[in-house]
Amino acid sequence: MQALTPEENRDVQAHLDECAYCRAALSESFVDLAVIGMSAEQRALPEGARERLMERIAKTPQEPVVTPRAVTEFPAREERDQGFGWLGWVAAAAALAIAAYLGYGNFKLKEQLSENRGQIALLAAQADRAQELTDALTSPAAKQVTLTESKQPALPVGHATYLSKRGALIFVASNLRPVSADKTYELWLIPANGKAPIPAGLFRPDASGSASVILPPLPEGVEAKAFGVTIEDAQGSTTPTLPIVMAGQ
Amino acid sequence: MPQDFPNPNNEALRSSHRTTVNTNGADDMGLLTRIQSGDQEAMSALFDRYGTMVYSVALRVLKDTGEAEDVMQEIFVQMWKNPSAFVSGRGSLGGWLVVVARNRSIDVIRRRRFSEPVELFALPSSTNLAQEAERNSLLEKIRGVMLSLPVEQQKSVELAFFEGLSHSEISEKTGDPLGTVKTRIRLALITIRKALNV
Repeated sequence: MQALTPEENRDVQAHLDECAYCRAALSESFVDLAVIGMSAEQRALPEGARERLMERIAKTPQEPVVTPRAVTEFPAREERDQGFGWLGWVAAAAALAIAAYLGYGNFKLKEQLSENRGQIALLAAQADRAQELTDALTSPAAKQVTLTESKQPALPVGHATYLSKRGALIFVASNLRPVSADKTYELWLIPANGKAPIPAGLFRPDASGSASVILPPLPEGVEAKAFGVTIEDAQGSTTPTLPIVMAGQ
Repeated sequence: MPQDFPNPNNEALRSSHRTTVNTNGADDMGLLTRIQSGDQEAMSALFDRYGTMVYSVALRVLKDTGEAEDVMQEIFVQMWKNPSAFVSGRGSLGGWLVVVARNRSIDVIRRRRFSEPVELFALPSSTNLAQEAERNSLLEKIRGVMLSLPVEQQKSVELAFFEGLSHSEISEKTGDPLGTVKTRIRLALITIRKALNV
């Protein structure tokens, strides 16, 4: 049986529980083993072997007897080792508290995650909308139409939408006269506090005379008195060069 | 059915497994009962009865007096701790101890954990070695039978029993065909059983 793996041993034992013939055959084998073992030449015990064994026996506690149908009885609460019993309860209570805390934390995290996901979805939708707006305003394929009261030739016109709190500006212009290659139109924000005009972006008209400036970098919180457009060198300017070709407030 | 395994339903064969030696099985059981109550004198008596036999088997396998004593001690300490491991009615305590000694010694050789299955199997109520005289007589007889076996059979049996080799391992070691090894061992066992009427 020592040649078998633990798994094989279990299988064999399971079979032996069912098969009387094999049990008998195995018993026969054990008889053989016992007989052969007894053929070993009998040798005297080492000096003091008996004393050493009995000394060890004296120090070795016997295992409690478990009867075949004995029910394992758990000691009454008051009989348990008080030295470690209360510690066990404390440890269990601590474990429960930690588990509850972690569980609550987990719940809150999940809640936060759910909220974040909602916000992300909203922001994504808003971003899509903003992109859509930008595309509509700036796309070369978008048609720019200037409506006038009469059939007069359309004059250059611009329309600025500005949100001072965020420094957000959208400027759309049409019917612009072309400028030479070394020149550009430049938009200016004229602060209401009388300070110097703030550059608000460069633009050149396309073939149809349309142009736009979308969300140029502007400081936040600057109230605008008016907006103006000048013609500058291609690289732009930090101060407007007169004349102002377009203005509005 | 394998021919070398007797039919357990054969009443005559079962009765032939009992030796003609007069034995007093109650002696062993009596000692075990007292040991169970914590009687160290009973433990001492049990050791006097079977200590030499257990030690001799261990020494034959291990060929080292220190290790053999260790194995012997472990067996008797275990017996002290749990005398009920040998269930009453399971047959010869002496035979059981011999098999346990052999198995534990093989475990030491193979550096494995101690095997346990021997304790779970019943030995038939045959050989009982409680009486010293009958015990010595039987041991002499067995030894004589073993020595009378053909050398190849004796060698195969000893390799299997005292060195714990499987048939395949014996075949590999001796260079003999596996079938030959199996046949030799089977024939040796048949001879031993016939000679001892077990």
